[in-house]
Amino acid sequence: MSNNIDRLNKVAKIFILLIIVSACFFIYIYKLFSMQIIQGEHYRSQSQRISSQISTISAQRGEIFDRNANLPMVINTDSFAVEVTPGEIPSDRYDTVMLKLSKYLGISKAEIDKKIPANIRRSYSSVQVKSNVSFNVISNIAENKTDLPGVSWVSKPIRNYLHTGSLSHIVGYVGDINKDEMTVLYNQGYTKNSIVGKTGIEKQYDSLLQGIPGRELSTVDVHGRIISDTPIVEPPQMGKSLVLTIDSDIQKLVEDALGNRVGASVVLKPATGEILAMVSYPYYDSNIFNSDDAAVEYNKLLNDTTKPLLNRAVQVSYPPASTFKIIMSAAMLQENAFPANKKIECKGKMSYGGRIFHCHVHEPGHGWLDLKNAMAQSCDVYYWTVGRDSLGIEKISSYAREFGFGKSAQIDLPSQVTGLVPTAEWKEKKYHEKWMGGDTMSCSIGQGYMEATPLQLANMVAMVSNEGVIYKPHLLKEVRDPASNEIIDEVKPTVLTASTIDKDVWKQIQEAMRYTVTDGTPQYPMHNKIVQIACKTGTAEVDGYKDSWHSWLVAYAPYDAPPEERVCVATVVEACNKWEWWAPYCTNIIIQGIFAHQTCEEATKELGFTYLTQNRGRQE
Amino acid sequence: MKKIFAIYDYLLIILVLTLVSLGVMFIYSSSINSEGISVTNEYFKQIVWGIIGLVIMLLIPLYDYRKTEHFSPVLYAGLIILLIYTRIAGRYVNGAKSWIGVGDLGIQPSEFGKIFYILFLAKILNETENINPFKRFLIATGVMILPMGLILIQPDMGTASVYLPIFLVMCFMAGIPIRYIMYVLSFGMATIVFAILPVWNQEIAEKPLAVISILTNSKLRIILTSAVIVITLLGYIIKRYLHGPKYIYWITYVFSILSLGLLCSIVLGKVLKDYQIMRLIIFMNPNKDPLGSGWNIIQSKVAIGAGGFVGQGYLMGTQSHYRFLPQQSTDFIFSILSEEFGFLGGLIVFSLYFAILLKILYVIRKCSNKYGVYICSGIFALLSFHFFINVGMVMGIMPITGIPLPFLSYGGSSLLTAMTCMGFLMNINYRKSELK
Repeated sequence: MSNNIDRLNKVAKIFILLIIVSACFFIYIYKLFSMQIIQGEHYRSQSQRISSQISTISAQRGEIFDRNANLPMVINTDSFAVEVTPGEIPSDRYDTVMLKLSKYLGISKAEIDKKIPANIRRSYSSVQVKSNVSFNVISNIAENKTDLPGVSWVSKPIRNYLHTGSLSHIVGYVGDINKDEMTVLYNQGYTKNSIVGKTGIEKQYDSLLQGIPGRELSTVDVHGRIISDTPIVEPPQMGKSLVLTIDSDIQKLVEDALGNRVGASVVLKPATGEILAMVSYPYYDSNIFNSDDAAVEYNKLLNDTTKPLLNRAVQVSYPPASTFKIIMSAAMLQENAFPANKKIECKGKMSYGGRIFHCHVHEPGHGWLDLKNAMAQSCDVYYWTVGRDSLGIEKISSYAREFGFGKSAQIDLPSQVTGLVPTAEWKEKKYHEKWMGGDTMSCSIGQGYMEATPLQLANMVAMVSNEGVIYKPHLLKEVRDPASNEIIDEVKPTVLTASTIDKDVWKQIQEAMRYTVTDGTPQYPMHNKIVQIACKTGTAEVDGYKDSWHSWLVAYAPYDAPPEERVCVATVVEACNKWEWWAPYCTNIIIQGIFAHQTCEEATKELGFTYLTQNRGRQE
Repeated sequence: MKKIFAIYDYLLIILVLTLVSLGVMFIYSSSINSEGISVTNEYFKQIVWGIIGLVIMLLIPLYDYRKTEHFSPVLYAGLIILLIYTRIAGRYVNGAKSWIGVGDLGIQPSEFGKIFYILFLAKILNETENINPFKRFLIATGVMILPMGLILIQPDMGTASVYLPIFLVMCFMAGIPIRYIMYVLSFGMATIVFAILPVWNQEIAEKPLAVISILTNSKLRIILTSAVIVITLLGYIIKRYLHGPKYIYWITYVFSILSLGLLCSIVLGKVLKDYQIMRLIIFMNPNKDPLGSGWNIIQSKVAIGAGGFVGQGYLMGTQSHYRFLPQQSTDFIFSILSEEFGFLGGLIVFSLYFAILLKILYVIRKCSNKYGVYICSGIFALLSFHFFINVGMVMGIMPITGIPLPFLSYGGSSLLTAMTCMGFLMNINYRKSELK
């Protein structure tokens, strides 16, 4: 009985659901019919109109300042771009209009046709035909507007890089968005006419620099005449101003001190990780990417054998050579692997595995050395012995990693390399060969497979200066509001790597680095009356060069000041330059210039190095 | 072998595949920009999802659905844990923490979780059939509120709202008294109305109504709320202890809905920002904010209207290819279809959906197992609610909630959910005459 009622109920319920759903379907079909058929004409004309109703007002890209934030290093200069809305041109007049336009713009009609292929001649979205158009040409076009239906122009500011030179590697450059970038950035407010950062800060912080484009909504008829007199305007918002950690004076000083030698130099504040200067030679001029034949210029740079597009400070890793002895010494002391005051005799060479290893001072060698003197004299025999007999490759590579080698330095640039810290496993995988004692010896003096970027070496010194901490190196200091100049965001120091090495080990390393300046091999090039420097040299052997080497100098100063007041410098001068052991001289000039507030020329003169630079000068 | 072929309902499979193919076609169309270049590969991903979905749809009928009754609590518990995990470690998509996973392979637990929810609710309704209807109703409400609340705080109001009609229809079919069901429905509506009225008054209404100030002015609102609560309590006491007449019951009924609605709308108003409420109600008058939240609706309506009777032709729709339409491969897929295939295309989609819904009702009618009936009812509610809300949204008669159109919209979670539902439908259909 109850089952029967239930059954009846069920059918009734199904019927109710059916009625509800059918009613909804009926309403929806009616609505669809009314929109598409009854009011269809109205919507169709609206869709014709709306296609040309919206125009975007592009936002000014944010400006870029150095750390003093008074004068911008990158600004926007007025320029125009000419656009064509193909759908607005009557099809019978299309060719004559384009021919006329090509004459005004001084380009061939074929070039325009390439940008507007036949399949989009009905399109109501505008196509940019030429950028970098001067005001004169625009006023010519404006006067003949009636002959040129569908032709319009927009203000398209050019990115103007006021400081050319070495800043190009840091700031980068911008260009039209390409198809790949569009696929990635699609749905993030980018359009096919967007200008995006291609490298450097321009790319890294593109979303901050972009700003928000404004929109203008005006009702126009099919002939493109504006009907409503007050368009709705949403004003564009300019991109944010970026203040970099770079000090333009120091940047210029480093640029001049390195001169036209292929290499790189990094200056940073160890207590915060702020990059004060970063130079990589050769560099390029970011402004060439504004010109209409940017592609030609770009190819020239791409094919240049000295690779000017490469930022050697972060994108190239070199063997650290003797600068690695800092890490070796720290490892040795921390592990209690070998007493600091016990001496090892250098006879100028040692043999191992049927091979003779020569110290850089040949027979009779350095004689008996303790750690301090071995570092000051950069004795290879001492570190070969310690590395092979007391430490071993596993400890060496573990300490190298503790100093930030073999992993990204995480600087805020779009591209950087990690360098390499070899291990026995790595060698077996890569070369299918066993790790040998000789490999350990090579690594002990920063040769063999060991590689690091100049930035990583600057970090290594920062670790010594900070006694156990590397702060994440960064180029962005502040983000500011372009109108009020208020600080919106500030980059705070964050720890990149922290080490567990004991305090007294750091003291001994610092003393040894100071002793290297007062009593070691770079005594002459590193002598300085203004400030006490602590440093380590490096001379890396490079395949293919016999009488010239990669020259390294890593240093921090002042030795006798707290870490907050110090700067760290790492300089490399490649072996392809004429050999003049330039890295120490260059670094000393940089430190002299920073602390005595001198230009490169003044600092060189003060240090008595003028005779070294007289016959070189800058050849540009 | 013969038996395996009998499991499937070929008409249903054809209906589903037709819808999915239409979806892929228009996802492809949506990826074409005005220069004729395809800027995303979403259509390809959708094909892959479609194939996976088809396999799932064909596998599910092989396993007797009645066995799922035993482990549906586990599935439900898993869903709750996943939702909590999503809340903590999920990824933000469109402002809601509703996704988990890596890269493109993310999943949206709230989407496929609807199936687990339906299975568990069906089990609960089936087991509690003989107990006190009020108790039964409370238990079922609890089953709904837990996942719904977790999704609401993501916050993803659109997806959460789907859980309500599923609950209502399943309870309706399970024979829970209509007044309980109406209570939940009215309570939900009251909450939403009270939450949006202030914004509506300020932003949409042609002439702001002074009456609304009792909701916006905090002092007045407190007085109103307490007055309504007092009436409710009085009614309750009179009915319960003084045995008042029948109409007192209904007064208490209405006023308790009002008081609960007023209280909960405060919470809802806190969870939803003003601009989110604005998005919900802008469809009433999109021209109030033509460049902002009204933009989508205006563009979508123009696209549909411009379609006319036969449409502008495949890949020829101007509105979509100039990118006037946002989210055109997901929420606004029906506008592209209507622009390019016109009224005829719209009618075809409507008929396909109507046929599927009829099929579900047919299975409900024929199925003698209650568990199966409840599952089918849930699926029926899920599909019809998604369909009417989404299509209504693109036609400008329903709020923008970000609910996709099953089978057509781009997105793996949504497509797999819908196809899994169809698998269950065939499963139940095949075993409809077996009672236990």
